[in-house]
Amino acid sequence: MKSLLELQDIYLNYKTENSLVEVIKGVNLKINSGENVAVVGKSGSGKTSLIMLIAGLEKATSGKIIFEDQDISAYSEDELADLRKKKIGIVFQSFYLIPNYTALENVSLVLEINKIENTQKKSAELLEQFGLKDRLNHFPSQLSGGEQQRVAIARSIILSPKLILADEPSGNLDSENSKLIINLLFKYSKQNNSSLILVTHDQSIAKECDKIIEIKDGKII
Amino acid sequence: MEKLFNFQDFKYAIRDLIRSYKKISTIIFTLFISLFVLSVILSLEYSLKKELNANAKVLLGGDFEINTRNEKVDDQYLKKIEKFGTISSTVEFSTMLTNSTKSDAKTFFIRLKAIDQKYPLYGSVQSFPDNALTLLQTTKNSIVVNRKIFETLKIKVNDTVYIKQTPFRVVGYVESVPDLGRALLFGDFAVVSTNSFLNLNINTLGSFINYEYRVKLNNENINFKQELENLTKNYPSYSVRYPENSSNNLKKLIDNFSQFLSLVSISAMLIAGIGIANTLISFINQKNISIAIMKSLGFTTSTIKKIFYFEIFTLLTIISLLAYLFAILSVPIVNAYLVKTLGITVQSEFILKNFIKVFLSGFLVVSIFCLPTISAIQQIKPTSLFRNVFQPCEFYFTKKNISLIILAIISLILLFAFDSKKPFYTVMYFLVFFIICLTLYGLSKLIIFYLRKINFIKFLPLRLAVKNITNPKTIFPITVLSLGLGVTLLLSLTLIGYNFKKEVQKSIPEIAPDYFFVSIQNLEKDEFVKYLKSNDKNAVIETMPIVSASLIKINKKDPLTYIKQNNDSFWVLERDRRISWSKTAPKDNPIIEGSWFDENNKSFQISLDAKVAKDLNIKINDSLTLKIYGREIEGKVINLRKVDYRDLSINFVMLINPSFAQNIPHEYIATAKFKNLPDFKEGVFLQKFKNISTIKVSNYLGKVTEIINKIFIAVIIISSIAVIIGLMVISSAVIVQARLSVYQNLIFKILGINSKNLMLASIIEFLITFLSIIFIAAFFSVFVSYFVIETIFRLSWSLEIINSSVVLLFIGIITIILILINNYKFLSPKAYPLVRNE
Repeated sequence: MKSLLELQDIYLNYKTENSLVEVIKGVNLKINSGENVAVVGKSGSGKTSLIMLIAGLEKATSGKIIFEDQDISAYSEDELADLRKKKIGIVFQSFYLIPNYTALENVSLVLEINKIENTQKKSAELLEQFGLKDRLNHFPSQLSGGEQQRVAIARSIILSPKLILADEPSGNLDSENSKLIINLLFKYSKQNNSSLILVTHDQSIAKECDKIIEIKDGKII
Repeated sequence: MEKLFNFQDFKYAIRDLIRSYKKISTIIFTLFISLFVLSVILSLEYSLKKELNANAKVLLGGDFEINTRNEKVDDQYLKKIEKFGTISSTVEFSTMLTNSTKSDAKTFFIRLKAIDQKYPLYGSVQSFPDNALTLLQTTKNSIVVNRKIFETLKIKVNDTVYIKQTPFRVVGYVESVPDLGRALLFGDFAVVSTNSFLNLNINTLGSFINYEYRVKLNNENINFKQELENLTKNYPSYSVRYPENSSNNLKKLIDNFSQFLSLVSISAMLIAGIGIANTLISFINQKNISIAIMKSLGFTTSTIKKIFYFEIFTLLTIISLLAYLFAILSVPIVNAYLVKTLGITVQSEFILKNFIKVFLSGFLVVSIFCLPTISAIQQIKPTSLFRNVFQPCEFYFTKKNISLIILAIISLILLFAFDSKKPFYTVMYFLVFFIICLTLYGLSKLIIFYLRKINFIKFLPLRLAVKNITNPKTIFPITVLSLGLGVTLLLSLTLIGYNFKKEVQKSIPEIAPDYFFVSIQNLEKDEFVKYLKSNDKNAVIETMPIVSASLIKINKKDPLTYIKQNNDSFWVLERDRRISWSKTAPKDNPIIEGSWFDENNKSFQISLDAKVAKDLNIKINDSLTLKIYGREIEGKVINLRKVDYRDLSINFVMLINPSFAQNIPHEYIATAKFKNLPDFKEGVFLQKFKNISTIKVSNYLGKVTEIINKIFIAVIIISSIAVIIGLMVISSAVIVQARLSVYQNLIFKILGINSKNLMLASIIEFLITFLSIIFIAAFFSVFVSYFVIETIFRLSWSLEIINSSVVLLFIGIITIILILINNYKFLSPKAYPLVRNE
C-alpha cells in the first residue's frame, strides 16, 4: 500500500499569557492510501488538534507532515488552502453548511472553486445518490440534522479527495442517522480510494476501521 | 498569482448580495440618502449655472452693455457704437409709486425702468396682456407694473397710478423681464416708455439713476471687443459688461449655497461611513461561520475579501446610479420654485462629470470604512469550526490598509476642494471633522484606561457595564465615535437651525429706524425735518449728505486690473457708491485703526470700512482716487471703521472729511424713528415732497425675511437628511453592541443573572458613553455652527441652551429606547438554536 500521509515527530504547542500548553507531543503516524483510521481518545487528549494539523489548519510547532511525498509543514497559508481545496475533504460534527446556500450550492461550491465543469449536474447526481433528490434547493435551516450531515459528506467527497477527515460526524445525530452517515463515509471513501481519518467516541464505529489510533495527553499510545 | 477579477468570485458576491441584502439595509439606505443629497446639489448647481451661461445674452439684454452710470451717453460715443449693431437704451431709477394722490394713498418704493421700442433685444417679456409692451410705446404716459403691485393695489387695466404725482395709465402687468435688473430678487418694479420718462423730473443722484445701452451685434462673428475697449478708454466713467458677467452675484450666491450644502452632504456621507463600518462588521460577524467554512474548503482569505469587496462596490455602483437618476428627476420639482423666484428654468440632464464625482465620493468614503472592516476577515479561523467558539471580529488595521485609507482620505479632500470656490474652507472642514474623530477616539481610550483602574464594584449592573467597556475586544471606541459624531452633527444643526430661525423671526431692532428717505434736496432739507417733527415731535431723525463717487484708483493703480471678481469687496469697485461726510465719527462705526478727520486739514481725507480695506489690501496712508462729478480727486486713507450694515442705520463704505466736502453739490439721505408711527401718513408726505422716496424698513425686512425663509427651508430639508443618517448611525452602533452580547447573555442567563440586571447594565454602559461625549460634542457643535452662521451665511450667531438641551435629551431617550428594544431581542436568546449554532 502506498503511503499517503506521514507525521514525523510532530509537536504542537500553544502559548497562553502565563504558560506554554503542549497539545501534541511527538506524534508519529503513517496513513496509507485508501486506509480507514479511527482516532479515539478522551476529551482534551489532542484528537481535534491532530485533525487540524493534518488539514493544514494549524501549523506544527515542530516536526514534518508529508502528504503524497510532499513536505507540507513549510507550505504557506495559500498553498495549504490549495491542498484542502483539491485533496482533502472535511466533515464536522456540527455539519457547518453555508447557511444561505442551498444543498446543491453547498456541494457544487467545491467543484466551482476547482474550476470543474457541469458542477450543478454532478452535485445533483451525488445528492440523489444520498437520497436528497427532493432537497436540492433547500437551505440548511430547512433540512434535518441527518440531511444536513449527508450534504456535508457529499460536499467532502464530490471531488474524490485523497483524504477525508471526519470529526465526530455522527456526534449530533440519533443512532439511525448515525449509522447511515458512517456507512456513507465508508462506502464512498472505499469507492474513491480515499483515506478516511475518523475521530469518534463510539467504539463500534472505531472497530469498523482498518486501524485504531488512541491519543492520550497528546501522544499516540 | 490570483487574478484581480474572477467572474466566479463576482458570481458569489452577487448571490450573497441578493440573499443577504436585508442584513445590510442600513448600508443601502444611508449610502443612498447621502449620495442622493450630493447628486441633487451637483445637478442643481450645474443646471442653474448652465442656464445662466446659456442665457447670458438674454440676462444681460444684449451682446454687450455699456453703463454710463448717472449721465446720458455722449453722442459721439453713441455714434461710434451704432456701427456695431442695434442699440437699445434703458434708464432705471428708484422712485415712489402710489395708487392715488390722496393722503391715504398706498405707496410702493420701486425700481422704474424706462425702455425704448427696441427693448428687449434678446428674450421676451412675460406680460398681461401679451401686447402690454406695445401698448406702452403707443399709449401716452402709460405704465406696466409687476404682478405684485398689480395684485396688492388691486389694480385693473386702465387704472391710474402716480409717480412723482404724475399720473400713468396701467396697461398691464409684467411677470418677468429677461434681463436681470439691479433690483433682481428684491424689488418691485414698473416699466414705462422712454418718452414717458421724459415727463418726469428726475434728479440724478438720490434716485439712483442708471443709464444702460445694450447692443445686439449685426454680425456675431466680428471681433469687436478690442475696438470697443479702445473706444471706451476715453470715457473712464463708462463700464462695459459682457454676457459672461451678467449674473456674477447670482453665481456667487449659488456657489456659497452649494458649498455649504456639499459640506453637509459629505458630513452625512462620512457619518454614514461609520454606520457602514458598524453594519459591515456586524454583517461579517454574522457570516463568521460561512467564512470559516469557505476557508476550510480551500478559499483563500484574499478571495473571500475580494467577494465582499465585489458585494460592496456592486451595491455602491447601483446605489450611485439610482441616487443620481433620482436627483436628476427632482430638478423639475425645484424648477417650479426657480421660475417664480428667478425667472429662469433649468433642465434635467445627466452629466457624466457629476455622476463620476458622486460615484467617486461614495467610492472613497466606502473604501475608507470598508478597508479595516473587510480585513477583519483575516481574524476568522477555520479552526473555530472544530472548537465551536467564534470570536467577534474587530476592525483590522495593517500598514497597507492604513496607507490606502490615508490615500483615500486625501483623495476625498482633493475631490471636494478642487471644485470648490473656497478650497481653504473645504480643507479646514475636513480637518475639523477628523480632529473631532480623533478627539472622540482618544476620549474613549482615556475612559477605558481609568475604568480599568477601578478594582471592585459592588453594584452588579455597573460591574457588568464596566467589564463590557474595558474588555480587550470591546467596541466602546466605535460606539463613542458613532454616538459622538451623531450627537455633534445633530447639535450643530440644531444651533444652525436656531440661528437661522432667529434671523427669520427677528423683530426689527429697537434702534432701527422706521423709514429711510432718499433724494432730499439741499434746499428742502430743513423743511423736511420740520415737517417730520410736526408729525411727531419725539421723532428721532438723522440726516446725512450724500454724493456719488466711484473708486477708480488705489495707490494710483486701477483696482480692476488686479482685484478679482470673487473678492468679497469687489462690489465697492463695480459702480458708483454713495459717500458722505461727518464732523464726528459715527457712533455705531467704531474706529479700529487711525484717527478721525482733522478739522483744520483741508486736504482730501478718507475714512474706509475696515473689512473692505482688508479685502482690497488698503492700509492707513494709502491713496485712493475717487471720481466725483467727473473729477478725479486723490485722497489719503486716515482711518478704518468697523461697519455693520445689518444694524439698519445709515452706513457708508467711505466717509470723507467735511472740510473738503462742504462745497460739493449734494443731496441728503435720512432716517426717522417715530414714537407714534401711525401719525406719519406716507400719502400726505408724498403730496408735499414729490421728489423724496420713502422706504418703510419693515417692508424691506419683510422681503429679506422672505428670502431667508426660503433658504432656511432648503437648509432644513437637506440638514434633516443628515439628521436621519446621524440617528441611523447611532442605531447601528447600538445594534452591533447588542448582537455581540448574544452569547454572553446566554451564558449569563444560564448562570442565573436576571434580565433586569442585564438591561440595567446596558443602560449604564450607554450613560457612561453618552455623558462622556456630551461636552466634546457641545464644544465642537458650538464651533461648527458659529463658523457656518457667521462666515458662510454672514448672519449673527448666538448660543441657545434650551433647544440644545432638548435635543440632547431627545437623543438620549431615543438611544435608550433603541438599546432596550435591541437588547430585549437579544437578551432572551433561544438557547437551543445557539447551541446548534443556528
